[in-house]
Amino acid sequence: MKISYEWLGDFVDLNGVTPKEAADVLTRLGVEVESLTAVDLSEIIVGRVIEQVKHPKSRTPLWIHQVDLGDRTEQIIAGAPNAVPGSLVPVALPGTTVPNGKLVKDLNIAGFSAKGMLCSAEELMLGEDHSGILILDAGKPGDPLTTVIPNQAVMDAEVTSNRPDCMGHMGVARELAAGLDRPMKVDFMPAFTGKADPPGRDLIDVSIDDPDLCSRYIGGAITGVKAGPSPKWIQRRLRACGVRPINNIVDITNYVLLEYAQPLHAFDLAKLSGGQVHVRRARAGEKLLCLDGIERELTPDMLVIADADKPVAIAGVIGGEETAVTEATTEVLLESATFNGPSVRQTARAFGLRTEASARFEKGLPAELALAGARRAAALIAELAGGAVHREWADVYPQPQEPVRIRLKPWLVDEVLGVHVPLDDSEAILVRLGFHVRVLGDGEWDVLPPVFRLDVTIPEDLVEEVGRVYGYDRVPPTLPGRRHDKWTPAVPSQGRRLDAARQVLTGAGFTETWNPALVSGRLLEQLRVGARALRVSNALSDDMDTLRTSLLPSLVNVVALNRDRGRTEVKVYEIAAAFLAHVGDKTTQQPEEPLRLGVVADAGTTAESGRKAFYAMKSVLDGCVRELGAPPGTYQRAAAEMFHPGRCAAVFLDARQLGYLGELHPSVLTGANVEGRLVAMEIDLEPVLDAAGVKRAQTLPRFPAIERDLAVVVEEHVAAGALLATIKEAGSDILDSALPFDEYRGAQVPEGHKSVAFALTFRSPERTLTDAEVDEVMAEIKLALQKKHSAGFRT
Amino acid sequence: MINPQELTQAALAAIAQAHTEDELAAIEVDYLGRKNGRVSNLLSGIGKLPSAERAVLGQAANEAKRAIEAALAGRRRELTDARLADLAETEAIDITFPGPALGRGRIHVLTQVQRQIESVLESLGYKVELGPEVETEWYNFEALNIPPGHPARESWDSFYFTPDLLLRAHTSPVQIRAMQRIKEPPIYIITPGRCYRRDPPEATRLPYFSQVEGLAVDKALTVGDMKGTLLYMIQSLYGEDRRVRVRPSYFPFTEPSFEFDVSCGICAGAGCKSCRYKGWLEVGGCGMVHPQVLRNGGIDPEKWNGYAWGFGIERMAMLKHDVEDIRLFYESDLRFLEQF
Ligand SMILES: [Zn+2]
Repeated sequence: MKISYEWLGDFVDLNGVTPKEAADVLTRLGVEVESLTAVDLSEIIVGRVIEQVKHPKSRTPLWIHQVDLGDRTEQIIAGAPNAVPGSLVPVALPGTTVPNGKLVKDLNIAGFSAKGMLCSAEELMLGEDHSGILILDAGKPGDPLTTVIPNQAVMDAEVTSNRPDCMGHMGVARELAAGLDRPMKVDFMPAFTGKADPPGRDLIDVSIDDPDLCSRYIGGAITGVKAGPSPKWIQRRLRACGVRPINNIVDITNYVLLEYAQPLHAFDLAKLSGGQVHVRRARAGEKLLCLDGIERELTPDMLVIADADKPVAIAGVIGGEETAVTEATTEVLLESATFNGPSVRQTARAFGLRTEASARFEKGLPAELALAGARRAAALIAELAGGAVHREWADVYPQPQEPVRIRLKPWLVDEVLGVHVPLDDSEAILVRLGFHVRVLGDGEWDVLPPVFRLDVTIPEDLVEEVGRVYGYDRVPPTLPGRRHDKWTPAVPSQGRRLDAARQVLTGAGFTETWNPALVSGRLLEQLRVGARALRVSNALSDDMDTLRTSLLPSLVNVVALNRDRGRTEVKVYEIAAAFLAHVGDKTTQQPEEPLRLGVVADAGTTAESGRKAFYAMKSVLDGCVRELGAPPGTYQRAAAEMFHPGRCAAVFLDARQLGYLGELHPSVLTGANVEGRLVAMEIDLEPVLDAAGVKRAQTLPRFPAIERDLAVVVEEHVAAGALLATIKEAGSDILDSALPFDEYRGAQVPEGHKSVAFALTFRSPERTLTDAEVDEVMAEIKLALQKKHSAGFRT
Repeated sequence: MINPQELTQAALAAIAQAHTEDELAAIEVDYLGRKNGRVSNLLSGIGKLPSAERAVLGQAANEAKRAIEAALAGRRRELTDARLADLAETEAIDITFPGPALGRGRIHVLTQVQRQIESVLESLGYKVELGPEVETEWYNFEALNIPPGHPARESWDSFYFTPDLLLRAHTSPVQIRAMQRIKEPPIYIITPGRCYRRDPPEATRLPYFSQVEGLAVDKALTVGDMKGTLLYMIQSLYGEDRRVRVRPSYFPFTEPSFEFDVSCGICAGAGCKSCRYKGWLEVGGCGMVHPQVLRNGGIDPEKWNGYAWGFGIERMAMLKHDVEDIRLFYESDLRFLEQF
């Protein structure tokens, strides 16, 4: 919200307080000033145009002015024709830098000297208008411009949603007054000025049909107005706050909105059919041509203002064109109402239209504000548009706002803040903010918040009021600490435990990524992993419309992106949740969120490089599982979506399946525009963490080992894992370890067969083994392999 | 019969002329070898001699052995010294040549920063609590004092799956769940995790981001305690010269509520381009837990009170590592991720 420093000065004495200081005070109080634009007009002087003639030679139209500057007359040339003789104008003399940054120079234009510049509103940063010279309505030639227009400063402030009262200058000024400890110059509730007959109530009949959406409607009648431009100072202040001046009546409603935060609307009373105002929900099919020239279709959940026949305004959002105040208007119905916040927000959203009015109603305005705003506007209209305010307005207010009384134990201030605030100071602060404080016999306080502060309802709210004015900078930082007789022991967090796996992956050359959990639902469908996907009902875009059910699609895209950017070898992983919706009748429940490790790596371009990458990936997984402290996993041939049908393993930890590891299916890569092969895995981490135990030390062997290699020739389909199981079974207790280390096809190996080499280690914890003993066990192993797998042996 | 003295002379001469350690080893075998060494051979016929001669010869042979051993050791040392003295020339390498690249794996910068934050707060006794990312309306909003239609809901525009199910807009629901589970204070927890808000992606914000929130519930906690905790955290992460300021603000779930700012690390609060001439950088929100929120978590606000705070991990990482565009964290360009 834009706040004019000059305007604040109407309510609180700002003598000796610079705009920057005021901004700092407001920020400290909670009205955060994001930026401050200051305009210094003190170098500009007032001039009076004595003579204006057209430049005789210039091709672009120029006018030569003789300007009275009090003690002398100067010749000044301008491109706009509106500074006619007699006009008072702002003059910048040579050497002056005008507020918009332009340096004024001594010029000679086609034979005529120019000793300065006549300024437009835009050049003085008093508005957007650059079409002509700014014409002043007062001033003495030779005086500084600041005698007519004070130095300007506009703050851009953020008002929190609980303080709609601060969406107007008066509320902000009250904060500033409290912060500076200076009195407010103006009372919140202006006096009622209506005297004219007949009573307003006889001129307009107001009824609220839907009191749930409108708690108060004040309709003031003002007759005999003369619509026209509003005075310069009103226009200037509106412009400073980003509001375009229209005519005096409309400008005054906007002015009071910016002052009191109470939105107002002026209808041309003569155009309201039947002299009636109905505050009601729209009827199906009703339409309204709005002030912005757009015709809008209304729906029955929207609140409208209607006359006897039809809607004339969308309540709290925008008025209708037909009943708007024009130059021809002489009678005005001044509307000041309190509309339901959520309803206004919903309607404004439905139209994608956020107005100054709706932005305020949305926050929930106090009904008392409606009366204050209406009185202020009526007084201004009477003063500046010559209208007669009628007595006895329509004021439909079925359930007047109940005052909230708060019992405050005043020592709560010290208890919550952690600093001693003298009771007198606390009380003085509350009074400065408009609260009434009554000290009760038991020392507790009975506090009555001002009518415009609906946000203050509990004692803690009062502590905040005291704290922010007292100054949180004065609260010393401390660390809490007292004797506790209860605690929970420290355990490493899940994240910290998983760092063990991160270290394995880092060591193996993998880089961690964090990828968005929202992905394209269509992509999941294409990859056939969308069955249990949760779809966002209000997605921002269709590439982020679904929660991922797998980490792998994101990781494949990471490979594609990095390849596009010139990276050849990409090895990446992510640790994050996947989201799996429940099926059947539980679809409305929170989904499962298994924590997963997803890993993807380049696997070259050939079948052989893919095979090697597969085994490398197994090592990575085994390393992670080991470092997480769990027993080793086992692998079974499997088929899974996204994976190569011949190169995919299901990974198990005991009987629990952790996930899959394998080469990605060629079609997955084609879909992601990735060439070559990728190897990947995706496993659930929680079962691994659950299975983790403490590593136990093994006694170091005291006797030497005997090592033997064994090359087993079997048919292609026999898995190394099956051979290994047989070897271990037959190896008796002196077989310490067995590990397949090579696979061979070619000379000495028949077609359709392969040779798998194992490294066997024999050892006894009790004695040194003899070769003869080991030969015996080797023979048993061979026999078992022969029997079970029809194996032959290579030497 | 060979004279031991002569044998010694011959051995010493050979040792003096040896130029390699291999030659020395051969000489050692030749003279001192156990089976056929010349000194051992001296003693081979000793048994036939009378005992007096036997003793003399034995002694002479031992002397010869010691002399030869000493000479061998001395010459060996000379040769080693000579070899080592030349190393500067004989084995010089170009030390400006770079080493081979190590494995390129990196832990994500957000993981690193999150862990640093956790460590600092764990040192104060806070424990990590986690919770679901898909939440119910009640935990995400109502339990936090944000009923439907509340004007503040605008700040947490959320992604919905059903009218009751949405992606959490903050990790505050974890605070409620933790209070319900732990039941009896003291509670000192932090809740790191991913959050979602319906904001279109731009350089300073994303529809997905990560937060760390903290919650302390105990007896007689104060705004001062909250300030001290934040100051301890910020100084631990960014250095002892940093300051923290709290500014009044508004959140429905805290009362009083604050924004908290950290003094700019570049200008130390004087104002510069990087802090937009404010001297302070906005980091997060904080406040004293609203009594109703404690009640919603099953905690009696008459007995206990608390403070809470929250901020984005990305924001902290941006401040720490001078990252200017938040999107880089989630774009997964290895050239970015490998910088940390
Ligand atoms: Zn700075």
